[in-house]
Amino acid sequence: MALLQISEPGQTTAPHQHKLAVGIDLGTTNSLVASVRSGEAQTLADINGDHILPSVVRYAEQGIEVGQAAIEHAVIDPSNTIVSIKRLMGRAATDLKSLRQSSPYEFSISESVVPKIKTRAGDVSAVEVSSEILKSLKTRAIETLGDELVGAVITVPAYFDDAQRQATKDAARLAELNVLRLLNEPTAAAVAYGLDTGQEGVIAIYDLGGGTFDVSILRLKQGVFEVLATGGDSALGGDDFDHAIADWMLQQSGCKKIPTPSLVRLLMREARSAKEQLASVTEVNVKVELDDFAWQGELTRSQMQALIEPLIKKTIMACRRSLRDADVAVEDVLEVVMVGGSTRTLAVREMVGEFFRREPLVSIDPDKVVAIGAALQADVLAGNKPDDEMLLLDVIPLSLGIETMGGLAEKIIYRNTPIPVAKAQDFTTYKDGQTAMAVHVVQGERELVDDCRSLARFDLRGFPPHVAGAARIRVTYQVDADGLLTVSACEENSGVEASVDVKPSYGLTDSEIETMLRDSMDHAEDDMHSRMLREQQVEADRVVEALDAALQVDGDELLSEDEKANIAQARNQLIEAKAGDDSEIIKAAIKQVEDACADYVARRMNSNIRNAMQGHSVEEYAGNEQE
Amino acid sequence: MTTDILTQNFFELFDVPVSFEVDLDLVQQRYRELQKAVHPDKFVSASDQEKRISMQQTSWINEAFNALRQPVERAIYLLKLKGVDLNLENETTMDAMFLMEQMEMREALSDVQSKDDPLAALDDFSVQIKNKMQAMAANFSIAYEDDQLDDAKELIRKMQFMQKARKEVDELTAKIEDELF
Repeated sequence: MALLQISEPGQTTAPHQHKLAVGIDLGTTNSLVASVRSGEAQTLADINGDHILPSVVRYAEQGIEVGQAAIEHAVIDPSNTIVSIKRLMGRAATDLKSLRQSSPYEFSISESVVPKIKTRAGDVSAVEVSSEILKSLKTRAIETLGDELVGAVITVPAYFDDAQRQATKDAARLAELNVLRLLNEPTAAAVAYGLDTGQEGVIAIYDLGGGTFDVSILRLKQGVFEVLATGGDSALGGDDFDHAIADWMLQQSGCKKIPTPSLVRLLMREARSAKEQLASVTEVNVKVELDDFAWQGELTRSQMQALIEPLIKKTIMACRRSLRDADVAVEDVLEVVMVGGSTRTLAVREMVGEFFRREPLVSIDPDKVVAIGAALQADVLAGNKPDDEMLLLDVIPLSLGIETMGGLAEKIIYRNTPIPVAKAQDFTTYKDGQTAMAVHVVQGERELVDDCRSLARFDLRGFPPHVAGAARIRVTYQVDADGLLTVSACEENSGVEASVDVKPSYGLTDSEIETMLRDSMDHAEDDMHSRMLREQQVEADRVVEALDAALQVDGDELLSEDEKANIAQARNQLIEAKAGDDSEIIKAAIKQVEDACADYVARRMNSNIRNAMQGHSVEEYAGNEQE
Repeated sequence: MTTDILTQNFFELFDVPVSFEVDLDLVQQRYRELQKAVHPDKFVSASDQEKRISMQQTSWINEAFNALRQPVERAIYLLKLKGVDLNLENETTMDAMFLMEQMEMREALSDVQSKDDPLAALDDFSVQIKNKMQAMAANFSIAYEDDQLDDAKELIRKMQFMQKARKEVDELTAKIEDELF
């Protein structure tokens, strides 16, 4: 077999190289980056030794500040200092009213449905602000780890809908981070605990962060994490505790004036500090002074508990619901994992423990556990653990539907269906001679379209007229492993098609992202060229390496001589192209190899499954039939 | 050379006998084995073509898993394999007794909120529905094995009725819980 002997000097397969990949917890209040180093997942610190990066971005006179530097200016420069931006991710301008956030920012009124915040650096979207946080974490990782990253696993609340996930991916793209996978935060926490302690059974993950609450019911078995159900509230978190306490302080002070943004900030800071202190003491003395406002008073632990109890009860309700969705009784839950800084609040631990009737797990730092789990998953996805058995199976958090006559939402994919998933549904026309149909994609559990989130609209046009009810329009929803949706529609009699990647109105279009990337790049043209060339060369190596490895395993078994010759030819052309300096030619040659291998790849993927199903012993069958 | 899994029926795919009685533990076990072979996480740095195939195969396996593990879905799929397509919207003939029972249950359900302990009453409903579903499933299995496909079809329709009732009970439970907390 000549094919496998082709090898160029210096091209022998390199010894297994550790690929650098990180896990990022992009949180409402705080963000973290972690990586697996010498076999252990650790969060990475900045030069000051701080692991936690406050998710705060300030558009200052002299440039952009992220984290602690920005937070220090939150009180003096509130309108240019952006906090809790995660709450705006994937939200439309019309959603802002429903967000219970007394926001100090000024929103710019624009044509675009994406809300933009006015800053001295111009109008910025949530995606742009988030990308600044990601850039900061990426820089930290590269400086700490000493090399470029192959990619990142970024966590999102399990309850994030399609628009919010898409916005997160857009932010990563803008930060020039390769997203290996979007991972649900609770699943990441389970990864951290599961791998460390080898748990098997049903586990509840209670994740109360600064601005979001999630509960997930997972089953861990034989290295597979299966999400049975998820629930929560994407606008409820520890910030709301602070709000409740701050409101109480304001009420106690007897101040009748509407507080200024600076005072709101200060009250929130004091409320937060009081809450944190009350985790270890039973009473705190609070003093708030700003301009003409002054208040001093006591807050006891039980007073605080009374203030936040209604909020905690809301989370317990979501727990009940998720257990019901998962068809799991409270007694079946083996462990409850606590995630998120707000689970340090004692009242939370107590009420959760009471509901699940067991002491919740708190052995891993609740602020770091998600980033650590994401780092472990990133390490596996980057290919550093080829023999690792870990596999995460996720579900879709909210049902996906389509608008039908009368403004009703008909569900096409039900929530908690494992992803990826594809579902097709047939529709027909209701008028004679109709040649177009509008497709309105919605997400949510309610019956009426108006109560669901609108994700996208598109038209299927130009199919031949039929009498009413005779056209056959098949609408297909495909959700990928990141939970992102693509919808296509086809009139089956004529074959007329239309499709849309559901990059909802709240995300950014591809061209917007490209423009932003170009604007932000101060590289010279040549740099861009050499970078693209280098990228294509690396890609070419990867393709050849993967092909050779595959051929060695089953080339003889799955390919005819003609097919082998074809593939060998394309492979040689690619090696030739790679020696040149034109990235476009390399790209075309890669494409050619991929085309030549198309059937081969398909056969391999099928035989892959066959192999997985082989080796079921005879006894196993005998055992079944006796039942 | 190799069969395309997308053309296999769900039972073949999971390597279990074509029957209404399935070993759910085995189905789960097979599901994990299949997922480990095809899931997109195993193809993160693969070519676009491999990623696409992986997504199609995983979607197919997920669809199969959903159909196999849920009794009503499984029953519908078995009839589909026999060439019986349930045109559920257009065929609603149902025996009068069953419909009467259904109406009585709906009435009782609408009174539930005036009960002393509505949640306990709803739990009773859930148990009743579950028991009826189990009995119907057992009857379906017999009808299917005896090739009494019309009976089997009728049973599926009844089970769907019960499924809807269960959903209503669940929704009502959630609503009452919301009011209590």
